Amino acid sequence: MMAETKKVVPARIPEEAYKALEDIVGPQWISQDRAVVETYSKYCVDRTGYLRKHMKDPTAIPAAIILPGSTEEVQAIIRVCNRYKVHSIPFTNGQFSINAPPTPNPTLCIHVSRMNRVLEINEENMTATLEAYGDYGQLQAEAMKRGLWNGGCPLATTLCKLSSQMQAVGVWQTDLKYGTISRNIISAKVVLPTGDILKLGSSSVSGVEDFWEYGPGPDLLGLVRGSVGTAGVVTEMTVKLHTWVGGKEMPEPPAGRPSIRTYYEQKYDTVSPPKRHKLLWVEFPDYETEIKALRAIAHSGVGIGLNATGVYNSYYCSQTQELTLKRVKEKFFPPYNLYVILAGITSERQIDYEEKVVRAIISEVGGTFLTEDYKGDVLTALAPWNVDCIRHVTGFRMNRFTYAGSNVPGGSVDDVAWITRESLRFAIDKFGETYITDRGGLDDTPFLYAISPYGRFWLSETDVYPDPMNPQMLQRADALVFCGVTQLFAHKCGPGANGIGVSLEPLTSFFPEHGPNAHLLFRKLRKAWDPYNLYVAGRQVFTEEEYKAYPQAIIDAINQMRGLCGMKPVSKE
Amino acid sequence: MMKKKIYERTLEDYREQAWGCARDNWCMNQWGWNVKSSRYNEICPEFRIHRSHAYSGMGKFHITRALLEGDFDYTDSSELLDILYHCTSCGACEMNCLRLEEKEPLKAAEALKYRMIELGLAPLPAHQELIKSIKNYDNPWLQPRAKRKDWTKGLKVKDVTKEKADVLFFAGCTPALDPELTHEAVNTVKVLTKAGVDVGVLGEQEICCGSPAIRLGDRDTFFPLVKRNIEMFKQYGIKKIVTSCAGCYHVIKYDFPEVPNVPDMGGIEVYHISEYLHKLLKEGKLSFKKQMPLKVTWHDPCHIGRHCGIYEEPREILKAIPGIELVEMERIKDQGWCCGAGAGVRTAFPDMALTIATERIEEAKETGAEALVTSCPYCEQNLVDPIRRNKEKLKVLDLTDLVLEALS
Repeated sequence: MMAETKKVVPARIPEEAYKALEDIVGPQWISQDRAVVETYSKYCVDRTGYLRKHMKDPTAIPAAIILPGSTEEVQAIIRVCNRYKVHSIPFTNGQFSINAPPTPNPTLCIHVSRMNRVLEINEENMTATLEAYGDYGQLQAEAMKRGLWNGGCPLATTLCKLSSQMQAVGVWQTDLKYGTISRNIISAKVVLPTGDILKLGSSSVSGVEDFWEYGPGPDLLGLVRGSVGTAGVVTEMTVKLHTWVGGKEMPEPPAGRPSIRTYYEQKYDTVSPPKRHKLLWVEFPDYETEIKALRAIAHSGVGIGLNATGVYNSYYCSQTQELTLKRVKEKFFPPYNLYVILAGITSERQIDYEEKVVRAIISEVGGTFLTEDYKGDVLTALAPWNVDCIRHVTGFRMNRFTYAGSNVPGGSVDDVAWITRESLRFAIDKFGETYITDRGGLDDTPFLYAISPYGRFWLSETDVYPDPMNPQMLQRADALVFCGVTQLFAHKCGPGANGIGVSLEPLTSFFPEHGPNAHLLFRKLRKAWDPYNLYVAGRQVFTEEEYKAYPQAIIDAINQMRGLCGMKPVSKE
Repeated sequence: MMKKKIYERTLEDYREQAWGCARDNWCMNQWGWNVKSSRYNEICPEFRIHRSHAYSGMGKFHITRALLEGDFDYTDSSELLDILYHCTSCGACEMNCLRLEEKEPLKAAEALKYRMIELGLAPLPAHQELIKSIKNYDNPWLQPRAKRKDWTKGLKVKDVTKEKADVLFFAGCTPALDPELTHEAVNTVKVLTKAGVDVGVLGEQEICCGSPAIRLGDRDTFFPLVKRNIEMFKQYGIKKIVTSCAGCYHVIKYDFPEVPNVPDMGGIEVYHISEYLHKLLKEGKLSFKKQMPLKVTWHDPCHIGRHCGIYEEPREILKAIPGIELVEMERIKDQGWCCGAGAGVRTAFPDMALTIATERIEEAKETGAEALVTSCPYCEQNLVDPIRRNKEKLKVLDLTDLVLEALS
């Protein structure tokens, strides 16, 4: 069913405001052109964005796009927005949707793409400072030249910007050793919605070296971290660097490089791991054994990364959608598996020793290593992970058909492993799947990754893949994700919307399971950060007025879902 | 992937891809495994300069979706033509997007260009002059047809319209008519002759391959050129074509078969000169005698590189020349940085073309190379501009310049 062909006309910001903004950056760096604003109106994992396109919702489209070149320009922009009461949102690459596109009010999109430099690699202190649009690929490339790296890369890809990740879900494949991005931030510079520039961490004290991580007392960095972009525009950040022994450059596939005509050939993805790194793949007879193995390996202290991959293999390691579906249907990849990344950081022999430990664990728990002789074709197919585990690229192959939402529970491996599965089963039984690969996590292992040393904390993930041209499937995807999230609250699976502390409306206000008055606290904080409620309004927490105005029909739908999951209803009172 | 020929597809055929654009940003950035520095991590020249996501493969997909659904009209945007025609058609977006998402942002953008032309809204005035020239003179350079064969003066080369030859050397408009680039055509004939190849040319009868037209989205100008070219090849019994122009190679080999309602090429083999010389090298027909101590770096022309997969052949030729030391830039092969000239960008936006080329020259200089070698007249033409302007020491050479000298 296609929407009727009527135009979608976005609102504009006041002309005086536009002129004042133009005076800050120059006319070439601001636009309200219809084609330009369209390209900022739908994000990546964004079923809501697709639905708003079907509904021809003009509020999905920003009123204008501005591209500042410095922290000072960002500050000037925010101040103009405050003066003229113009709403604004920050934007890096729109890769991850957190129900992000504009609020109902005419909104200025602040795109930080001009602030794309790695400013400094401090080899002595082992830190790196980068601007807002600096990504993992840039950071790793510069650091690796010096025998250093930041410690990870998200499964989303090397294009992710660290400044966004620190405010959302900054999870790396190598969190087992290095922890998430939140554990690796030394300092940050933020332009608050008030227009003040706040320096956090080490940079809060002029002239000091990069030393600050977390002291024993309160730290404002904690309020910016995980704030889903609502605390202000992060314009600069400094992160820890760690020893890197894998060489200055990533290995090249022996087969060479593809062309537009040969993009689909597996050989161009078949690559060895970086020097002094090794991946071990193990398959298991069942889910329980896999979970036992994950726990045991995490507790042992070996390895830099530990993950179970499931349906992701069928996407990441398949060069065409046809191959993905074939592999899913034929269960080409082991349904219960894990890979562990070993690194010879202290010496080459570290890998030998750690491999012995892993083998001893697997021997005890049960499991079979994939080798050239045992499922060699599967092992070859898994080759992209050899470099992707460090510098991830193939993650968004999930978008060939179209990754539009996920549930990401967090907690202990046992909780997360079983709750994920049961939540997914419950949701699919109730609403049906949108595509065969929605069943990833049901017919095989969900994604399970150790996101802190020794596996104190794990993340799992299941995803939905609706046809973006089909509004019914998009709505079903919405229901599946919402049901999954509600289930997490019902199972008391960690704080926040996804078990990892990130909170979004309407969950903040209508799921008291967050903590009884979490929304009231967030609301008070928001009043301090953004007294006019102009900056990313309505994303993290509603103001009193927004809360009161929230449509009863949506609250009824929330309660319907809560009821389905065995939870008591909520109301505005 | 679509079964229809590329030039049978309408903009509507890209609806599904446009809706499905995942916004993964890989159309603008170098494949993550290959990034070697913070400075050279980006791959899309249009985005590199404009910094707005509108100016990217992804941007054009989003715009296409909205236009197809009637969310706005083709005349509602004053930047739409800029967004479309600031693109050099380098294919970097399509390379990465195919590899990850199996989508074709460049082809969709070319279909959108054609839609704009059908509506009378494109191309730009500067391009209209170019198209007029092709229609009136069979070349984009406003040169009379009679001048087409001037480059052959003094050369002993067969005229295939009068006598048979094993190989047709298709010179292309730019080497044939631009005096600064004629050396490419002349040297190619000399090299082939030295290698014992029975080579001939079409001379005055050679016409434009149509690449400038189709890269502007102008199918209506392109299709008759395709038909005329194929008919001419058949008329003169051509079995093998070698060209030293990357644009001509891409279009004749891969675009001609995608045009509906034109004769089949009938198995005519089409080679780029780098490919053909590599073949001769492997057959032992090229014997490099002269020591040429020179540090060089190879610039992959987009239209033989990522569009067609010719990466190793020119490199192996260079390495086979005694004394040549080949060093690589960071962005090479499928991730090569465009020279900035393509798809009419140099014609309509010379400043932008110069900026893109300047970045490439900087990248080349960082290798320590004394010369940047390539095999495309547009690349050579555009890359020489910043060198002249900034009085750089780095030389820009055509592959055949080196090969010819090494053979003597």
